[in-house]
Amino acid sequence: MSARILLIEDDTQIGDYIARGLDEEGFVVDRADNGRDGLFMATDSQFDVVVLDRMLPAMDGLSVLKAMRAADVDTPVLMLSALGSTDDRVSGLTAGADDYLGKPFSFAELLARVQALVRRRTGATRAQDTTLRCGELELDRLTRVVRRGGRKIALQPREFRLLEYLMMHQGEVVTRTMLLEAVWDYHFDPGTNVIDVHISRLRRKIDDGEERVLFHTVRGAGYRLAAD
Amino acid sequence: MGALPILPGPGRIARTSNPRRLSPTMLWLVAAVFVLQLLSSAAAIFFLRGQMLDVVRADRVRQVLDVRDDLLATYLQGGRPALAQMIVRQQGSAADPTVFIALTGGAPPLLSNLARVPALDIAPRPRPVMVHLGSDIPDIEGMAIAGQLSDGERLIVGVMGATESRFNLAFATAGGLTILVAVALATASALLLGVEISRRTHAIAETAAQLASGNFGARLPESHSGDGFDHLRLQMNRMAERIDTLVSELSSVSASLAHDLRSPVARLSAAIDTALDRVEEPVALEALQAARENADGLRHMLDTALEITRLEGGAVADRRLPIDLARVVEDMAELYEPLAEQSGVLLETRLEPVVVTCDRELLSRAIANLIDNALKYGARRVVLSTSAGPGAGAGPGMAGIAVLDDGPGIPPQDRDRAVERFIRLDNARTLPGGGLGLAMVQAVARLHGGEFTLADGDGPGRRGLLATLHLPR
Repeated sequence: MSARILLIEDDTQIGDYIARGLDEEGFVVDRADNGRDGLFMATDSQFDVVVLDRMLPAMDGLSVLKAMRAADVDTPVLMLSALGSTDDRVSGLTAGADDYLGKPFSFAELLARVQALVRRRTGATRAQDTTLRCGELELDRLTRVVRRGGRKIALQPREFRLLEYLMMHQGEVVTRTMLLEAVWDYHFDPGTNVIDVHISRLRRKIDDGEERVLFHTVRGAGYRLAAD
Repeated sequence: MGALPILPGPGRIARTSNPRRLSPTMLWLVAAVFVLQLLSSAAAIFFLRGQMLDVVRADRVRQVLDVRDDLLATYLQGGRPALAQMIVRQQGSAADPTVFIALTGGAPPLLSNLARVPALDIAPRPRPVMVHLGSDIPDIEGMAIAGQLSDGERLIVGVMGATESRFNLAFATAGGLTILVAVALATASALLLGVEISRRTHAIAETAAQLASGNFGARLPESHSGDGFDHLRLQMNRMAERIDTLVSELSSVSASLAHDLRSPVARLSAAIDTALDRVEEPVALEALQAARENADGLRHMLDTALEITRLEGGAVADRRLPIDLARVVEDMAELYEPLAEQSGVLLETRLEPVVVTCDRELLSRAIANLIDNALKYGARRVVLSTSAGPGAGAGPGMAGIAVLDDGPGIPPQDRDRAVERFIRLDNARTLPGGGLGLAMVQAVARLHGGEFTLADGDGPGRRGLLATLHLPR
């Protein structure tokens, strides 16, 4: 069954763009163009993810989010905002958003985050596993040992955390910003390809000399770690 | 959004020198008012004295003439005996002890209230004269008229009393008292006035200083009394209202810039993405990729510009925590190390632990900007360092984060401009980047109550750039 997304966005052009993209990715998209309608729909029926714009007519995004949480609607919310500063992020996350994306964003970034939220919703979490596996790649979170087949791979602490995050989200597209947030805890865009270089280093250690590559670059979006 | 300013921005601390002092000008003004008051009361007293003197003089002349006319009438009716009898009656009578009369011709002359005949020439009007009342009594002033009777004898009629000198004394006393009271009252009122004016003007000046320092909500109390001060306060408040409106319009403009400019950029990116998905032709793909990169660059610039506006306005939530700067810098070095290595740049660290209350995210952004700059402008070696105390190039109680590179550097005369928004120096025009990097670093330093300095590097011939963030510990 395909996941249902509620998109609450007043900008028709951006709304169309998101809806069309999500539709092409196989999601079922319901739309609201103001906060009040959006809140009714979010409390009324079951969605897997709510994509909520922060600035909305009738009722702003933050109020919608607070009202949803007050009504015990725990659908994951991805908040979109033209206010991309750290302050706005923090207030959004404090109000109960599960993720926050500053405008303008690339659709790939949005898609990666929506997919991550859907996956988290459907319970495919690996947060509790002590050993993560992807094909013949194995990461032991307790002993911090990484092996591929019989080969033991020595990693720097940050490389270990990077690989751990990728393995926890294997099969999903992970963007550079997501990595910067999750692995380094920075919420700004360094504007250069710092993350790419980290990935290519890690990729060399994991994939060099192997027949099947695990690291996949997703054009215009980020990376995907997958054994298929 | 409940944002709290961390620290006042530059120039927020207004300086007022000795706010409650009377100025020399004010003292001169008070003194002038006082002197004028004295002169006017002295003039009034002098005028009064003249007027009263005239009235009293005329009165005495009338009295003297009346007495003489009575005596003459008696003389004409009853001759000399009747006159003599009347003079004797006058002597010691209760009628008026100040009236004196002398009649020559007899031996001795007939005197009333007199010891000797005053020396007085015959004249048609009364004149001042010295009156001798006895050998043991000093002569006193008087006014008398002398006339000749038909029998050749002289009749002198006069009134005692030193009009002018007594008046002068009385008026001198009155004048003295008046001056004393006037001095006291004038001094008190001048002081009160001066203090009150000073108090009111200082209150207005302090509100103006608050406005100047960025507190645009400062207002003066209005009393609607309609005086000049009230008018001034009213106009000051109107001015403040206008400034407030303009400033909040300005900040709301910059806030709505976010929505107004970001949304079109978002749509632009969206359109490019859509096109990228549908186009197969390599040339078009390449062009679209370039457009995509430019759109990203535009977004990045917009983000940074808005962030700087927020930082400079102090509209940032206080998320400062005591953190070891060495760790902040080490994390950034770790983030950039692979990129530096790939670009053939040696990235070194010289870290001294120093705990500073700071916003990790903002400091990291500032450091990232400095490293980016060094990499962008062709450095071969970049040294990140932290230091505690004066070694950082600032005074004690400061900590420093320094980024030293051996790139082309910035000429000393261009350094002030280099930290301005959207300024890029000529040799950097062709390189990508919004020209906002250093402005952002400066805004972060100031938000922390510190400063940002640029200096020569340590390369041969002072090549390179030493960029330092000085932060209060």
